[in-house]
Amino acid sequence: MQSRYRIGIDIGGTFTDFTVFGEHDGRIHVEKVLTSTAQPELAVLEGLAKLGKSLPDLLPNSDDVVHATTLVTNVVLEGKGARTALVTTKGFRDILEIGREVRYTVFDMFIRYPKPLVPRNLRFGVTERALSDGSIVEPLDEPELRRIAAELRAQSVEAVAICFLHSYRNPANEIRAAEILREELPGIEISASHEVQPEPKEYERTSTTVVDAYVKRVVSHYLEKLAEGLRTRAYRNNLFVMLSNGGTATVDTARRYPVQMLESGPAAGVEAAGFFGRLVGLGAILAFDMGGTTAKLCIVEDGRAARTRAFEVARVHRFIAGSGYPVTIPVYDLLEIGAGGGSIARINDLGLIEVGPASAGSNPGPACYGQGGENPTVTDADLVLGNLNADYFLGGEMALDKAVAEAAIKNKLADPTGLSVMEAASGIYQLVNENMAAAARIYITEKGKVAGRLTLVSSGGAGPGHAVDLARKLGIGRVVVPPHSGVMSSLGLLTAPLAFERSRSVHQLLDTADLPALDAMFADLERTAAALLPVDADMMFERSLELRYAGQDYALEIPIARATIDDEQRAKWKADFFAAYETQYGTVDAENPIEIAAVRSQVKQPTAAPRIKGHHGTADAPPKGRRALFVANTGAVAQVPVYERSTLRSGQTIAGPAVIEERESTTVIGAGDTVRVDGYGCLVVTVALPTAIVEADVTFEKLEA
Amino acid sequence: MQLDPVTIQVLWQRLISIVDEAATGLIRTAYTPSVKEYNDFCCAVFDRDANMLAHSTVTTAGFLGIVPEVMRNFVKIHPPESLEPGDVIITNDPWLASGHLIDISIASPIFHQGRIAGYTLCIVHHLDMGGRMSTLESKNIYEEGLKIPVLKLYEAGRLNRAIFDFMRANIRVPDKVLGDVRAQLVANHVCTRELVKLLREYQLDGLEDLAHEIIERSDASLRAKIRKIPQGTYRNEITLPPIPSCPERVTIKAAVTVKDGEVLIDYAGTSGEVGAAINCVLNMTRSYSAYPIKLALDPTVPNNDGAMRPIKVVAPLGSVVNCRPPVATWGRTMISHLFPEIIFGALEAAMPELVLGANGGCPANEIYLHGRRRRDGRAFLAIQQHSGGFGASHRYDGYSTLCFPNNTRNIPVEVTENEAPVRFLRKELVADSGGPGLNRGGLGQNVEFVVLDGDAGPEEFVEGSVRLNGRAETGDFPLQGRCGGGNGRGGGLWLNEKPIDHGIYRRFWPNDTIRFQLGGGGGFGDAYMRDAALVANDVRAGLVSIEAAARDYGVVIDPETLDVVVTATEALRARGGPPQAIRRTA
Repeated sequence: MQSRYRIGIDIGGTFTDFTVFGEHDGRIHVEKVLTSTAQPELAVLEGLAKLGKSLPDLLPNSDDVVHATTLVTNVVLEGKGARTALVTTKGFRDILEIGREVRYTVFDMFIRYPKPLVPRNLRFGVTERALSDGSIVEPLDEPELRRIAAELRAQSVEAVAICFLHSYRNPANEIRAAEILREELPGIEISASHEVQPEPKEYERTSTTVVDAYVKRVVSHYLEKLAEGLRTRAYRNNLFVMLSNGGTATVDTARRYPVQMLESGPAAGVEAAGFFGRLVGLGAILAFDMGGTTAKLCIVEDGRAARTRAFEVARVHRFIAGSGYPVTIPVYDLLEIGAGGGSIARINDLGLIEVGPASAGSNPGPACYGQGGENPTVTDADLVLGNLNADYFLGGEMALDKAVAEAAIKNKLADPTGLSVMEAASGIYQLVNENMAAAARIYITEKGKVAGRLTLVSSGGAGPGHAVDLARKLGIGRVVVPPHSGVMSSLGLLTAPLAFERSRSVHQLLDTADLPALDAMFADLERTAAALLPVDADMMFERSLELRYAGQDYALEIPIARATIDDEQRAKWKADFFAAYETQYGTVDAENPIEIAAVRSQVKQPTAAPRIKGHHGTADAPPKGRRALFVANTGAVAQVPVYERSTLRSGQTIAGPAVIEERESTTVIGAGDTVRVDGYGCLVVTVALPTAIVEADVTFEKLEA
Repeated sequence: MQLDPVTIQVLWQRLISIVDEAATGLIRTAYTPSVKEYNDFCCAVFDRDANMLAHSTVTTAGFLGIVPEVMRNFVKIHPPESLEPGDVIITNDPWLASGHLIDISIASPIFHQGRIAGYTLCIVHHLDMGGRMSTLESKNIYEEGLKIPVLKLYEAGRLNRAIFDFMRANIRVPDKVLGDVRAQLVANHVCTRELVKLLREYQLDGLEDLAHEIIERSDASLRAKIRKIPQGTYRNEITLPPIPSCPERVTIKAAVTVKDGEVLIDYAGTSGEVGAAINCVLNMTRSYSAYPIKLALDPTVPNNDGAMRPIKVVAPLGSVVNCRPPVATWGRTMISHLFPEIIFGALEAAMPELVLGANGGCPANEIYLHGRRRRDGRAFLAIQQHSGGFGASHRYDGYSTLCFPNNTRNIPVEVTENEAPVRFLRKELVADSGGPGLNRGGLGQNVEFVVLDGDAGPEEFVEGSVRLNGRAETGDFPLQGRCGGGNGRGGGLWLNEKPIDHGIYRRFWPNDTIRFQLGGGGGFGDAYMRDAALVANDVRAGLVSIEAAARDYGVVIDPETLDVVVTATEALRARGGPPQAIRRTA
């Protein structure tokens, strides 16, 4: 049989990860190379060359390459986008700078915000006006816009964003303005708000449109170069790009709306977690990814993750909402915490030990990397505690220096506080896990879930070493560590469908909505979204409504059937909205009228998911050795068995405390925990929970209603 | 028990996460936008001696000095021996709690192993409490709505229905308000559940050892920082601009004494109570007086009783900043929002690196528009808030249009236009409004809207008010710069281009145009010392005009190239600065 492959490539901040799935033999190959930040396509080609050594026919025989990248974020963060201008309704050119006028923290008198991407002198107001009901009360003053165009030419701008008030409702003036600017400014990238994100709230829509315009050219060039690089290496098929909402798109589509690529990497991670959730039949999962700088958490239920449009790019403080540019595209609703292997531990003004959010990054990195880092980090603590093996980091490619880790912990933490090195190291471990648990508890409460009913699915280099202790703190009884969890996002790229989504803002009361008009609107959205997929695609359509109580700000996305819209359907939407509202907010108000805020349609072309299988030997693999491990849930050091993951057979069970090593990560299990290797090669950990946590629903004197 | 630095940190973080989870429970179940949009609430946890150990990360500065006092007042009236599991205490008494009737405080004891281990408290700014709606015109508290004394809402889990019945009979939207009261119960329930879980998990009998560490360490941290400020008594005195509906003029005198690691803020000499709804109870005065000290000196330490202990606030009983019943208090922020600025003004010489110029929008403005829409007969109530320029500091220029010391998100133009029959004509920055300085104040803004006509308009008229801060570059209590920086500029309200008084309820008719301006922030340091290149940048960006560059900064800009004309600038700057902007005399 001829070899056929599918390739997933995830460019992260530090590493570029590859997963190759052999469609003919079901085998998975992974690779990891350092990211080449200045020209990201170079690391891609390097990694493919490395893979090509064992798979010489890889590129010519690949059916698709799916790609996720942090490029768009980096362009904004580093200020490397186009010289961008903004055209708004006259009187409102400063909306971009005025923002929402709120401080993201009340305890910082030196609070900082990113500079507006378009300075005031490149912001222009033009005479035109629509009202909130969509009526045009002033047509576009075309001669005035042409004069502005001349000024833009004189100012040598490279991109223009257009955002008119209420254009989400009636885009006529905005459409005409885009036509005129395209005519007047050939070769200049134009982004119009009704196309990029047709939603009310002028600041957020303007900001989103400006970011889109700002990154367009750079993203286009990059995608061209990458496609060209693949072509010259005999790759004949399409290059696909992961979008923030978990679908993939062709390069041509992605470059038209580059802002949609912002969260492609994290979306791939969520897709992968959802894939394993479905595969293993886990129900509701808490996807947990812990890398060098951050930890990410996301609830995925039945393979589906909640989405949000509360997204920001280029935050001044990476983990503080409100400190960046809002970009209100649909993204997976995940929580990012400043907790990773590189998180630095220090003594604060109160004489207490604090871990993160500052990170040693990859340069100098943790002290034990021996690259001159003097600050103790989570990785240093993991090494001292026995969670990591100094000689088997990245499969032994990178030696860690335990003595240097101990010295850093002793000098910076243990000596000043009077703790032993071991106590300080276990303190770092406890604190970083407690930080993640604290954030997770609130995130889980916000989503209306109960931690004890979730399964934690762990990924990322540092994830499996912390997952079991984190689960124990949260009262989660089951942890699953999928195979290749160190490169899980790149695997997620291969499980995501080709998809594109379009939406339109509506504003009609549900009870009196014009149903045939809704039908027509969906049909229209599906037509335009389908046009963004390859012509020969098998298409699946998914519809949803954004519903809210009239007068509310935030809407809930309610998936609906793709059927003729009638009163029966409408009754079902209402029931589904009540159910979702109750889960989210705990109460329902049956009296208040419900409003349709927007209609949304996604067109998908499903892909054949990779088949995953474990190692089906007959005999249990013995440990490859023993080492001293600080067992977090007993607080004592013990000699524990160390297993090599690749030797474990499906069905094998291991009793904790124990360590299971693989090239990209190490799984640590505590006293009383047990691990079973399932048929797919996943490690399934049954976590021993202390009784205080099991009794989560402590009985109270019940209050009368 | 001696706790080590790791355990203390773990448990302390856990307490904060518990009150944040309680706040999440509140946000999920509350109706009022003041919870969701304005963060006008606070959830807190206390030890068994009613010492506050942590409050929700999301809250407003206005609760800083209030929360610890509310709990102390509760246990004075209902001492621990009189409490049993399932008890819930409620009040909205402005003097025992947070200064106006619209805030309801609800607390419960937390029992563990048969005795009280601590308390949980949740305060929320509600939608309505009966009485007159949001006005400064009330002469006494009886006009302002229903007062709930400190009562047990639940006794051993049994609801005291009479309280709900009284509330239901006295307020306009009882279902929503009582729904929000239940949201507060949810918050307290989450806090109780999680605290008991924590005590069990760590096998603790109570919180005393942890409380001791939290309070002593926070106290010591702030004291150490206060000791870096030169000792002495620093004074400031201001007379407020006339306030609509308030017949009296109000003078505030503050003496800030820095000594032995403590700050004493004494308002002796301040004007007496007034016959308008702007009187502050002492708790409120304490909140916004402590805020600038905490903000400047020890902002990163999570707040608790210890973090407040080195700050003492005293004021003569019967003054407008320590008022007595039965004066009216609804609009107390007309005064309390000014305390940070008054205290920064006093401490300007003592800690120039830790003060801010005036905020051009302080005290916060508030716009109410209500009526009925002609097209669908629907009643509307549109509330707006817009901000002035942020004050400059030793480190930075002030941001344009950023809220301080309160923290309120604006309502988008598209949202307001969807609600109320008005059309905005502009919302834009005002060039040259930022106070000049080595660091420039943020710009204020110009906002203008017109009442729509015909079918898109109101049934008859729109009723409402535009309350501003009444401050400008000159006059009583201008928008002050710091350390030689110029004052912020702007401020004013126009109806059909004629100036009118702010803060008065009026009728606006179709085609009436309402325009108002919020001022720029105060500058910091000598404007003639500002790098000419930065001034040129501001001119290019359209934040400062060519004329103002020369007049305020002594920088000559070529109108063609917008570059600095170096020789002319040197010559102009050599002649010395312009007459000092109107300055406060210390």
